[in-house]
Amino acid sequence: MRPVPPGNDELDDEIRGHLAININERIERGEDPEAARLAALREFGNVTLTRDAIRRVWLPAWFENAAALGRDVRFALRALVRLKGMAATVVVTLALGIGANAAIFSVVRGVLLRPLVNRDEDRLIYIRQGRPDVDNMNFSVPEIDDLKARVKSVRAFGDFSTLDFTLIGLGSEPRSVKSGVVSGTFFEVMGLRPVLGRLLDRRDDGPNAAGAAVLTYRFWTTSLNSDPAVVGKQIRLGPTAATVVGVLEPSVPYPADTEIIANVVTSPHHLGATMSKGRTHRMTELFGRLAPGASVESARAELTAVHAGMMREHPEAYSTKRRTQLTVARLRDQIAAPARTLLLVLLATAAVVFVIACSNVANLILARSVRREGELAVRAALGAGTGALRRTLLAESLVLCGAGAILGIALAKPMVAMVSQYAARFSVRALDVASGGVDASVLWVGAGLAIAAAILLAYVPRLPSAHAPAGLGLGAGSVRITPGTNRRLRLFATTQIACSFVLLAGASMLLTTLVTTQTAKTGYANMSHVLAIDVPAAALGVPLKNGIAFFREATRRVGELPGVEAASFGNVVPWRDAGAFGGNARFTAEGYTPADGEESPIGRVRTAGPHFFAALGISVLAGREFTDDERDPVAIVNQSLAQRMFPNGEALNRRIAWGDPMNPNPTQRRIVGVVADVDDENMVRQPAMTIYAPTSPMLGYGGRLFVRTAADPYSMVPAVTRVVRGLAPDQSLERAATLEDVRAEVLSPDRVNAFVFSGFAGIALLIAVVGVASVLAFSVSARTREFGVRLAVGSAPGDLVLRVVSEGLAIATIGIAAGAVGGYALARVASKFVDSVQMPGALPVVGAAAVLMGAAVAASMMPATRASRVDVLQALRSE
Amino acid sequence: MAKRDDERLELLQGTLDMLILRTLQWGRQHGHGIGQAIRAQSDDLLTVETGSLYPALHRLVKRGWLKWQWDQSEANQRAKYYRLTPAGKAQLSREQDRWSQLVTAIGRIMNATPATKE
Repeated sequence: MRPVPPGNDELDDEIRGHLAININERIERGEDPEAARLAALREFGNVTLTRDAIRRVWLPAWFENAAALGRDVRFALRALVRLKGMAATVVVTLALGIGANAAIFSVVRGVLLRPLVNRDEDRLIYIRQGRPDVDNMNFSVPEIDDLKARVKSVRAFGDFSTLDFTLIGLGSEPRSVKSGVVSGTFFEVMGLRPVLGRLLDRRDDGPNAAGAAVLTYRFWTTSLNSDPAVVGKQIRLGPTAATVVGVLEPSVPYPADTEIIANVVTSPHHLGATMSKGRTHRMTELFGRLAPGASVESARAELTAVHAGMMREHPEAYSTKRRTQLTVARLRDQIAAPARTLLLVLLATAAVVFVIACSNVANLILARSVRREGELAVRAALGAGTGALRRTLLAESLVLCGAGAILGIALAKPMVAMVSQYAARFSVRALDVASGGVDASVLWVGAGLAIAAAILLAYVPRLPSAHAPAGLGLGAGSVRITPGTNRRLRLFATTQIACSFVLLAGASMLLTTLVTTQTAKTGYANMSHVLAIDVPAAALGVPLKNGIAFFREATRRVGELPGVEAASFGNVVPWRDAGAFGGNARFTAEGYTPADGEESPIGRVRTAGPHFFAALGISVLAGREFTDDERDPVAIVNQSLAQRMFPNGEALNRRIAWGDPMNPNPTQRRIVGVVADVDDENMVRQPAMTIYAPTSPMLGYGGRLFVRTAADPYSMVPAVTRVVRGLAPDQSLERAATLEDVRAEVLSPDRVNAFVFSGFAGIALLIAVVGVASVLAFSVSARTREFGVRLAVGSAPGDLVLRVVSEGLAIATIGIAAGAVGGYALARVASKFVDSVQMPGALPVVGAAAVLMGAAVAASMMPATRASRVDVLQALRSE
Repeated sequence: MAKRDDERLELLQGTLDMLILRTLQWGRQHGHGIGQAIRAQSDDLLTVETGSLYPALHRLVKRGWLKWQWDQSEANQRAKYYRLTPAGKAQLSREQDRWSQLVTAIGRIMNATPATKE
């Protein structure tokens, strides 16, 4: 049986009993009662102290240790206050390491690991149809019907297609909103609930249902101020009327961040024959909920088999050259997939920064503990065991790491906001992380990292051994540096350099790419004065009647506005619309015969209104622009095409014709102009053969206005809007931006990438410089005597400087070599798991090495000059 | 009569526990009694401060070598009596052995006659 600790009353009783017995004995011996009482009390001594001593006996052992650690912590605090510089370096270094890790970990957790709000979200799958050349071609209605009829392992399918509607109502001007069109099973399959009203269900299916729309939570809260009376309001979606029936709970908007989700009846297109009968008319994304007992794997197997059967039955609908394949992924993984690589890279980067931070701190602590060797030896001599000495060191590193963690967690908050904004480009879930703020897990990660670091650091220094000669600096505060310590210090410094090198090389690769892109010539003149505006006719749900006439009239009127230099229309906003419209066609050029077995050349086909090249600032090299009144079939080609097809320079007035799926006998068009090359798809211009046509039947589905202005282009937007609305009152105009801003916007992920990684690399470099400087400073101060002797026997101060600097360079060189080897190995390993690992070119690698070398020289200069200024007499006398 | 303070001996570190166990070999005793017994049996050479005695008693209880029990003293005072447990008896004989070895060893050194050189 375990003894039970006595209570307070019991202790008091025992002491009182002791005193009473003593007093009795004294009285029996004949002492006066009062004198006996005083004598007994005196003999007992301090009652409170005794009682405390007894109570301490009963405290558990860990409590004793903790109390001792507490004393050590207080001691460490006092000691560190005296060492402000070193303490601050360690704390800031650790804070950066811990903060970066904590921030990135909470984003990773939020984006990759946290379950979705959807009911039984692990039973939700996303089904995708793709070809080697088209990642996601979506599904057509007949395909979906086939899958629905034949697949048993998926209980129900939900379909979703994204459309732009012009929304009228809810108190705003006509504007284009991104909308989802879904069938009645969608919300049931997705397992989502309304926060207001109801969601769409089977009642809303079919051509005879009333128009109904559900608002997404984000739209409802941000645009409508969470208006509780919104349910029941009437809106117009293009030509169709609809009623708002409910508001969706906050959920990950996938596949598209839409503002409203409406039933099929709101989209005339969805009711048409093309949509319901065309097997190749693929515009619907498909979700499924697994049947009970089915797994993702079994569903994948069955779906693939059914899909293969479908392809055999309808060979005309699938390309024979490129195999169409079905992929099935759990919805959560599908949503996270684009951000996965990025986040893992960030996590790895943060881990590298943490390693650098830790080895730097280890360095500083090692150097410090060598200076403490005297103190530790005294403690050991006075009977402190190994445990007690470790505890002394642990207390100090706990104080440092704890302070680092607190600062790091404070830093994590803005960093979470930054990283999640950045990750939001790749996964919508990251936005929730930003709005949710710092995850509580950050605290745990931060605390965990700090404690891990503290324990690690406490074991870095060697303890004075009981067997070592105890003379070891017991008295003087002099420092003797052992070869072992020196090796460790250099090892840590080399690690830092190696890690920094990997980060620097990566960052400089990104920077090089960015600089190349940004400084590339585009061929567009004075881009900051060209306004590009989307005029989405599709937003009305029906093609603009006579689109070409509308655009001609609109640009004619805009062109007459004061301050406008030229106005035109086209179908592609450079870079912003890259890849959105296909727009490539095979063409034939008069006088050019492809070699045998070669197909006819492919060119980009673009629509260009009158004055198009003047408006965009593309120089016309020969011939003329399109005019307001083109009666004959004409075309304009770019320089690349002219040179390739008509090498003798006689492109003008030749004939050119291009294929068009709708028109097997293409019109022969006469070339009336040759213009300079521009590249509206790639950020860095590449020669691509381009043909401009003055009109296009597709213009009715939406076009782009281009306005070149003398003054601030954005100030012209209201005037342009008024002109367009004068022609079509419900027309919406979207995304007005100058070409320069469009380019910046498209480049911004690259810029942010480069910025984030340069940030990390900068932090790493800073820490590494501090590391190298501190190692050398320590080594110099420990060798004061050596330098004194060298100076005394006639070494020039300059030689000493060189000597120390070359030590710094040696550390840097070995570190860079190790970093290059390690980084290369890392990239090789990573390329097995991640598709797009790029090896940096020679320039960034050399650049990074040069930067590190420079930093190492700079870092060793201060200790080096100190070494050269050693006072000979003092140095020699010091021991 | 009590000896003068400077004639008293300091207890050797670690011997108090052994002395307590030894004192209790002949039966139960309360804290004051234990202190008195040590003092009396050492002819007033050893005095145990209550500030050391009571923590030691409780430490021995915690280790399972002693047990306590409340009872009336001869003078009708309520007092806590300590007694040896079987584990305590075993510990006492271990300590006794170690002590005699220590005394023999130290005695040999202290009383040795200088060795004659060969």
